[in-house]
Amino acid sequence: MKIPIDVIPERAGHLGVVEIPACDQRTLPGVVSQRACVLYGARWMLAPVRNVIHLIHGPVGCAYYSETVRKKRYRVFSTALDEKDIVFGAGQKLETAIRESLSLRPGSSAVLVYTTCAAGLIGEDVPAICKRVSAALGLPVVPVNCPGFCGVSQGDGHDAAAAALLEHFIGRGPAGPPLENSVNILGEFDVQGDLKEIEQLLQRLGLNLICAVSGRATVENMARAHRARLNIVHCGRTGRWLARKMEERFGIPWRKVSFFGLAEAAAALQAIAAFFNRPREAAWVEKEAEAARQRALPYLRRLAGRRVALFFGASRMGSMARAFGELGMEVVLCGSQFGCREDYAESRRCLGQGTLMIDDAHQRELEEFLHRYRPDLLVGGTREKFMAHKIGIPFLVFPQETSPYAGFNGFVNLAREVAALVGAPVWRLMIPANLVEPPARREGPAGGDSAAVKTVGDGKGGNEDGTNL
Amino acid sequence: MQLKEIPITGIPYDQIKIEKVPATPEYCERPADLIPSTNRAVVVNPNRTCMPLGAMWAVLGIRKAVPFVQGAQGCTTYVRYTFCRIFREPATIATASFHEDAAVFGGRRNLVEGIRNLVVRYWPELIGVVTTCSSEIIGDDMVSFIKMARANLRKEIGPEKADQIPIVLVNTPSFAGSHVDGYDRASRAFVETLATAKGEPNGKVNIIPGLLYPGDIREIKHLLRHMGIEATVLFDISDTLDAPLKPPTSVPYYPPGGTTVEEIKDMANSLATFALQPHAGQAGARYLERKYGVRAVVGQPPVGVQGTDAFLKALRDITGKPVPDSLLQERGRLIDSLADTFHHTMMKKVAIMGDPDIVLGVTRFVLEMGMEPVALAGGTASKTFVHDVEAILAEAGYEGEPPLIINGGDLFEFEEYLKKQPRLDLIIGNSRAVDISRELQVPLVRVGFPIYDRFGYQKRAIVGYRGGEVLLAEIVNSILGHQYPDDRTQQL
Repeated sequence: MKIPIDVIPERAGHLGVVEIPACDQRTLPGVVSQRACVLYGARWMLAPVRNVIHLIHGPVGCAYYSETVRKKRYRVFSTALDEKDIVFGAGQKLETAIRESLSLRPGSSAVLVYTTCAAGLIGEDVPAICKRVSAALGLPVVPVNCPGFCGVSQGDGHDAAAAALLEHFIGRGPAGPPLENSVNILGEFDVQGDLKEIEQLLQRLGLNLICAVSGRATVENMARAHRARLNIVHCGRTGRWLARKMEERFGIPWRKVSFFGLAEAAAALQAIAAFFNRPREAAWVEKEAEAARQRALPYLRRLAGRRVALFFGASRMGSMARAFGELGMEVVLCGSQFGCREDYAESRRCLGQGTLMIDDAHQRELEEFLHRYRPDLLVGGTREKFMAHKIGIPFLVFPQETSPYAGFNGFVNLAREVAALVGAPVWRLMIPANLVEPPARREGPAGGDSAAVKTVGDGKGGNEDGTNL
Repeated sequence: MQLKEIPITGIPYDQIKIEKVPATPEYCERPADLIPSTNRAVVVNPNRTCMPLGAMWAVLGIRKAVPFVQGAQGCTTYVRYTFCRIFREPATIATASFHEDAAVFGGRRNLVEGIRNLVVRYWPELIGVVTTCSSEIIGDDMVSFIKMARANLRKEIGPEKADQIPIVLVNTPSFAGSHVDGYDRASRAFVETLATAKGEPNGKVNIIPGLLYPGDIREIKHLLRHMGIEATVLFDISDTLDAPLKPPTSVPYYPPGGTTVEEIKDMANSLATFALQPHAGQAGARYLERKYGVRAVVGQPPVGVQGTDAFLKALRDITGKPVPDSLLQERGRLIDSLADTFHHTMMKKVAIMGDPDIVLGVTRFVLEMGMEPVALAGGTASKTFVHDVEAILAEAGYEGEPPLIINGGDLFEFEEYLKKQPRLDLIIGNSRAVDISRELQVPLVRVGFPIYDRFGYQKRAIVGYRGGEVLLAEIVNSILGHQYPDDRTQQL
């Protein structure tokens, strides 16, 4: 099947309407990439780890930006490398900085040292320094190997972070028999209270949460994590690897589930209940799901048949596609910045053929997609938001900014907010109908009427005259 | 939040001492020798970011220009994220996407292919190549890479089209200076690359605003319009980063406005160049002065009465045009507001943080309100900052306790110093002081870069007389909202 938007030849394999797009590859230079660097990925994963000093070994900018993760601010320490350090090395400075940050914040139980492009390029032996300081101070000083260029996307940063957690924190406590009815959640970041929703559901099954990596991760609870009976993997990209390793090392089985959407959340709870051999205690699940569906019904009426485009970080594509399906919306695009084959395969399974999938879409491709398809909603991160608005398309930020979307209550929140966004008056007011002659409306059938939108410079020999319509 | 005690009738303000208990329960005393940032290697909550951001900011102020960042993806993503959050606008910034191979073999392939990809996808009118710490450490020979990229472009799209797109290189090694210096370097790089003397003066003035918001630039244009002066604003983000929503647009999206390449070329023929923020823009102004004899006027930003007066006076002296009545009316309104609210602002203790020029401008203004600065923290280390602050204090005849001046230190030092102060009424600074304001239970008036936790600050002005009124109102209202219980507010 033909790809419905224009791309540079090198990018053709990354889009597909039938097959799974090529993925996990380097970004093309020169495009406005929506991806981020490895340090970003590591911070995404490790920032919520509490009671630990986060020390960025790099120029001041890396520390400045690393303070904000998922719109929350965290205190960050940094070596703020300057010219002198680049030329003469910064090993001593790093060592001093570790000691100083501990005296500024006594009582911290570990130090995480993040490396950056600059630190990687000047060739500091950060692991050796950390090891030495750790021995001298008697507490873990953990190097996180995440120079920005050291991978294709932030996904590699998630892996580096997971490796650091596994090597230095998880299961460090005394060995013991598995704690009854206890679970860990891997790949859950507690965005706007998601974790609380999930925990409530698990408590109704009689289960206790030991630790959530990394939405609720402290040095203490990660040290006990090896005594869980089951690992629940929520975000596949950040959790799956860790789950496999914990299975190898501690023999903890794992289940990949999703708590987004009614069917998914119900299936997740039933699978977990089945694992703990208590299917009867899960009897309420169906009832709860049905009750939530009833509560969401008024919103679903307003959403039926609307078209939604999804562009995420990675692995929530499939489960969110299903959740939007339950809202009665048609998913017209499913894309991600750094999804892996498993993620795309899962999404393809639940979407079927014919839906466009894009890997590592850059801004230009998304823009063109929005013009040709004109979906009723784009779901993605802050960087895509304002472009969508300029084109006149409502936008939902996910991971969300307002209320939890996980669990049954979360689904009602999602329905309510999506209905409000799609029906927002601003999109009606956008065209000053009473003041000027309204321009010809483009109705947006899938497949695109390329005549309606003027594309500038597609492929090699384009027309550089970018006048408005 | 708890309301403070009502000031008791008959006791002057400076005798009221309010016990400050830090809000965080796990607060502990820090070792005193580690508090000044000069005494330690570790930086906690830096008050500045790295150079490339300033250069990207600058490039986004050029009409249909795209910054191309020679570095890893994060250098672009973090900045785009920052701009998106501040301006609520799309920020089109291309990345060279450094991966391991670039770190080993250098970034030539990334630049040559990247420029080509950028051109065929965006057809920009200008490309600003911004370097980062990675490319500077690797030692990329950017000048020859750009030549190669140009040669490759001529092959692919033909020489006429290829030569129409200027490529401006801004060297911004992230391990030196700050975002303010990045903007400064961009101002020089652009005039150095593009400006050409024609021999005859064009009668205009050049304005290099520095890291001011779209609202500020619109206010500067308003002042110039009333003075009847034609001007070129270099890096004019007033439309590019505050664009109206008016679909349908063409693909790719470019915001309206921005300084054109022609205007930058013509900057060599102007009467004078005003660098409104000496730390961000002075380099460009000085270059034009040295090379083309265009007079450089470098002063503090036109914030408050004296700041705006100085700006208008310099404009009048250079162009010979008088300050019109309409602006004197605006001045009069600001003076009236200052007089009417003085009893609220006088003797209030204030701490100011941000980029050095903003701190200087605002300090001058708060002294006009009779406030007493407690601590002044400029995020970017500067040779002139301490001297400038002292000059401003002397000018105002300030006789109170001399404030702590932090020249390039971090926010940890600022915060720890403020915690020790017996009284503090107000913090003026950017969004990065929010945590400090919450911890100390002191209101924050948001000014400067970056403001991402509130809406609208990028659209309004703090410069000029009208901007002064806006800022004054916000300061007064913050003080009132914080210090008086509701029943008293009715009687003010």
